Amino acid sequence: MAEPFLEVKALCKSFGGLQAVNNVGFRMEKKEVLGLIGPNGAGKTTLLRLLTGILKPDSGSVRFRGKQLVGMKIWEIVNLGVACTFQNMRPFRRLPIIANVMVSCLSPRSMRRGEWVKIVRAKAMDALEFAGISDMALEKASTLSQGDLKRLEVARAVATDPELLLLDEPFGGLSPAETDLMAKSIRRLHKGGRFGRLHSEGPAMIIVEHKLQQLMKIVDRIVVLNFGTLLAEGTPDEVVNNPLVIEAYLGQGGGQ
Amino acid sequence: MGLALFYVKKFFKIVRNEVLVLPSRVVVGLFFIVLLGLPLITQDPYIVRIVILTSIFAILAASWDLLSGFTGQMNFGHALFFGVGAYSSALINLHAHIPPWGSVPLGAVVAVLAGLIVGIPCLRLKHTYLALTTLAFPIILTGIIFALPQYTGGEFGLSGVTRFTNSLIGNYYLHVVTMLVTAVVMWKITDSNTGIIFHAIREDELAVKASGINTTRYKLLAFSLSGFFAGIAGGLYAHYMRIAGPSTLEVSMSFMVVIWAIFGGAATIYGPIGAVFILYPLLEFFRIWPEYRTMIFAAVVLVILLYMPEGLIHWIRDKIETECPRCKIRNAATRKTCRVCTAGLD
Repeated sequence: MAEPFLEVKALCKSFGGLQAVNNVGFRMEKKEVLGLIGPNGAGKTTLLRLLTGILKPDSGSVRFRGKQLVGMKIWEIVNLGVACTFQNMRPFRRLPIIANVMVSCLSPRSMRRGEWVKIVRAKAMDALEFAGISDMALEKASTLSQGDLKRLEVARAVATDPELLLLDEPFGGLSPAETDLMAKSIRRLHKGGRFGRLHSEGPAMIIVEHKLQQLMKIVDRIVVLNFGTLLAEGTPDEVVNNPLVIEAYLGQGGGQ
Repeated sequence: MGLALFYVKKFFKIVRNEVLVLPSRVVVGLFFIVLLGLPLITQDPYIVRIVILTSIFAILAASWDLLSGFTGQMNFGHALFFGVGAYSSALINLHAHIPPWGSVPLGAVVAVLAGLIVGIPCLRLKHTYLALTTLAFPIILTGIIFALPQYTGGEFGLSGVTRFTNSLIGNYYLHVVTMLVTAVVMWKITDSNTGIIFHAIREDELAVKASGINTTRYKLLAFSLSGFFAGIAGGLYAHYMRIAGPSTLEVSMSFMVVIWAIFGGAATIYGPIGAVFILYPLLEFFRIWPEYRTMIFAAVVLVILLYMPEGLIHWIRDKIETECPRCKIRNAATRKTCRVCTAGLD
């Protein structure tokens, strides 16, 4: 039997007395877009941070294409093809936007791939063009608006040419128009193809999001977390009609 | 003949179109010309000596900038690299009888090892804690030196180190050219892709890691590069002064480097060099009022840092040049429109 693309097993993490992620396990296929939802404080961001190695889990395992990710350094995980974006954007504020993306393009994974002529700057420009902020390439990152910072985060993640992309609230703080644009580029990225010098085979994605309406249009499957535990799993329709989920979001009797 | 003429024409074209258009480039060009032509004007041993020492400390200040200004690893013990370079090149020179041409690079290599020894325990530390830890290292080395006087000369240091050459002009050109070359090399390093990663590590280390860059490797690279250039400065100092003493490891030396670099503008390379060339001769000039010398010096530094927090050289550069809002190319402040994209400059 082939190895699963991503397999999370019995993952636990606690901060002091708070059990942030408790015995969470799920599987993911290649080419799948997984939504990760849950009320505030359910442990979604913690789960993503455990996957990317920013936090170390107390116990459990994360296997990506048969390789154990727990215990690896962050950059090793990124170079295996798991890229992430930050919920609170973390650009290099005093650098031009193009330099922000060039840092990703200089990672070993990105240098290995693509054309043999390694024009880092041109590649970074293509990543910016994909994200739609190439016209501001030379501005300092501190001048960007909230929506553009989100796009910059996506450009930085895409520049490493990931196979699994973890997006932490890509629509957070965006206006409806910007949300539509972002959703469109996420769908385009998932379809894959060639964006200038950037190849994309259409990465699998895990998207954490609160704007469910937008999320439902993108994702194939949804995982619901509540108080650190896995509450429900299934297609968007199944999850929306699941009484447990309605209760978690709206409280007891909220569905009526 | 035709070929030579072609290159001469090309040279003047470059000078006219690339150098003369920007005041900062003109200033850098003048700096090179004045330094290289100074012996034609004066051969006063006192002035030559000051310029030589200034060049040595300019290398040191620029190497601090490479580590702390760019990578953000606040190093308050930069005298360690200077002292290690001085002592090890002096020891190599005295005991192995290797001439200065060999002992200075070897001393710099030892300083790289010192950089790694400091860098590895400091990888986990940040900001204030890093600064305090690095402050301790030169003090530890001073203790070791005092504990082993039979090898290190104790408080008197190692004397009798051979000079490169005894001619005044020879020494002058050796030190000044070394300074100019190392400065250009350091500037090139920080201008490359590696420099971008150094900048990014200063801004946000976690985000650099999440971009797939092995930050440990780059931080150690910064430590060892900085150690190398500071070691060269130390070796040159030991061979020029003919003595490697514990004064090279003093805390005041570490702080002097920090003052120079911050005064000129951190994360620029040219800033610290310019600052040393202003401050070091200034401190010598104040010898005419010996009682108030350090007080006036402190006042000057304080005023500059109060009104130009980005650094003096940076401030001057912003005054004589403006950045085009559209294409981000720098222009002379006298221009009304950008020299490349012709956008208005107001």
